[in-house]
Amino acid sequence: MSSNAQGAQGKADGKLSDARDLHKTSVSDEVVIRFDGVTKTYNLYKNDRGRFLGIFNYKKKGVFLGSVDASKDLSFEIKKGEAVAFLGRNGAGKSTTLKMVTGVTTPTSGTVEVKGRVSALLELTAGFDMQLTGRENINLRGQILGLTKAEIAEIEPAVIDFAELGLYIDQPMRTYSSGMKARLGFAFAVAIDPEILVVDEALSVGDRTFQKKCIARIREIMMDENVTVLFVTHTSSVAKEFCSRGIVLDQGTKVFDGGIEDATAYYEANY
Amino acid sequence: MLSALATILKDNWEWRKQIGRLALFELVKKSRGAVLSWAWFFIKPAMYIFCFWFALDVGLRTGSGMTEAGGPPYILWLCAGLIPWFFMQDMLGSGVDVMHRYPYLVNKIKFPLSGISTIFTGATMIVQLMLMVVLFVIYFVCGQAPDIYLVQVPILLVLMFVFWDMVSILFSQLSAVSKDVANLMHAMSTPFFWLSGVIFDVKSIPVDWIQVILYFNPITFFASAFRDAFYDKAWFWEDPLMLGGFAVVFVITLVLMAIVYKKLHEEVADVL
Repeated sequence: MSSNAQGAQGKADGKLSDARDLHKTSVSDEVVIRFDGVTKTYNLYKNDRGRFLGIFNYKKKGVFLGSVDASKDLSFEIKKGEAVAFLGRNGAGKSTTLKMVTGVTTPTSGTVEVKGRVSALLELTAGFDMQLTGRENINLRGQILGLTKAEIAEIEPAVIDFAELGLYIDQPMRTYSSGMKARLGFAFAVAIDPEILVVDEALSVGDRTFQKKCIARIREIMMDENVTVLFVTHTSSVAKEFCSRGIVLDQGTKVFDGGIEDATAYYEANY
Repeated sequence: MLSALATILKDNWEWRKQIGRLALFELVKKSRGAVLSWAWFFIKPAMYIFCFWFALDVGLRTGSGMTEAGGPPYILWLCAGLIPWFFMQDMLGSGVDVMHRYPYLVNKIKFPLSGISTIFTGATMIVQLMLMVVLFVIYFVCGQAPDIYLVQVPILLVLMFVFWDMVSILFSQLSAVSKDVANLMHAMSTPFFWLSGVIFDVKSIPVDWIQVILYFNPITFFASAFRDAFYDKAWFWEDPLMLGGFAVVFVITLVLMAIVYKKLHEEVADVL
């Protein structure tokens, strides 16, 4: 994480007590995300040729290097309105889990059920077409998510305003700086009123003022009791600020699941 | 295998709105950054046609010689074969590797894989429809009257869309896993063109078995079928060899597509 972000967290720590009061309490009984015995295996090959042969179940020694389980027999349920932090070291399988929630990856075995529109703050700068302008990209993404023209017209000014792009909104995105891309990505993801919001270390966007705005916006979304939030972080303070429940992952398996205080305590004690 | 086929059809139907709009975006993107923007969709084919006309008719003098006196001019024969080829050329070029063209649809956003091929095929087909309008203009300028054989044109366009969409779904997934497939298909583009009936009439080859082999090239089928409609005034199903060859290739492509989709569609997002 950038030093920039840590600065913001230091600031956030000061407000921690306020933040806790802002935690939402009401959680419905409706399960929106269910993982049942989910295993995700990546087969690793020495080179692309080996991978190609692997399609035909041709696994010669020396070419097929082995399999890695990014997620191993992972089972949990998340109810509507919950805010859950995923804690764990690098390679613990946090991002793989979130990817399966967003539906861009499918599990090797087990089932993943997700109900509702998912908005992901995974890699903010990814997923844009660099040849199109910012405005066109807003349109494009909205359309991919299946929004109607009227809905897109409604969110467009809000996104442009939030991203603070000014005149650049009608320029091709390849001319944007990385900060501008990230701001637009963030602005779009929070503008579409998601039912499930997935945040993967995305708060290190832009300068301090913009970060504040992002945090305020995420909190605003989280206050809505119908929105489920999944949060990935290495930093306990951020998790405590936003979430009420924590799941600790280690090498693809769930090692702890409980209240955020206990989860962060467990994480800090063991890792 | 049938389930894979059902999934492909279902995905494409459910996402048809997004696919349609993304196809338009693809065209916007293609014409972006050029002052003449949309005109380029016509300029490149026009150059191509001019060069072939010049080389074959003026240079080699094979063109007009083969047309009957008083019949429709050679340029119509040439255009009726070349214009469908422009569509197939794009499909054999970018169309067999669409995953690398839209990586964000594969592993950043949830989107059906087969739909990505349909986006590209759709965008290419829109260009093809514009060129078809030009072909009709040429047809009427050449003094030809509308007749019942032209009914084949929309049927052939639909058939061309379906067939090349299947080809794109099949090869794009293989290309995503292995760069060799994309390179192989690009290398095959040239032989596919020259060993087809686009710039010569397959029936004029004196050796029968060569004819038979060429009929298994789907490009021969489409070029000849469009010529049947515009020039030769025949039905494309009248030649059993031509229809049979294409039917075999169509079924093989369909089966391979279903098998590959079943085997690979979950893996593609992980390897791209």
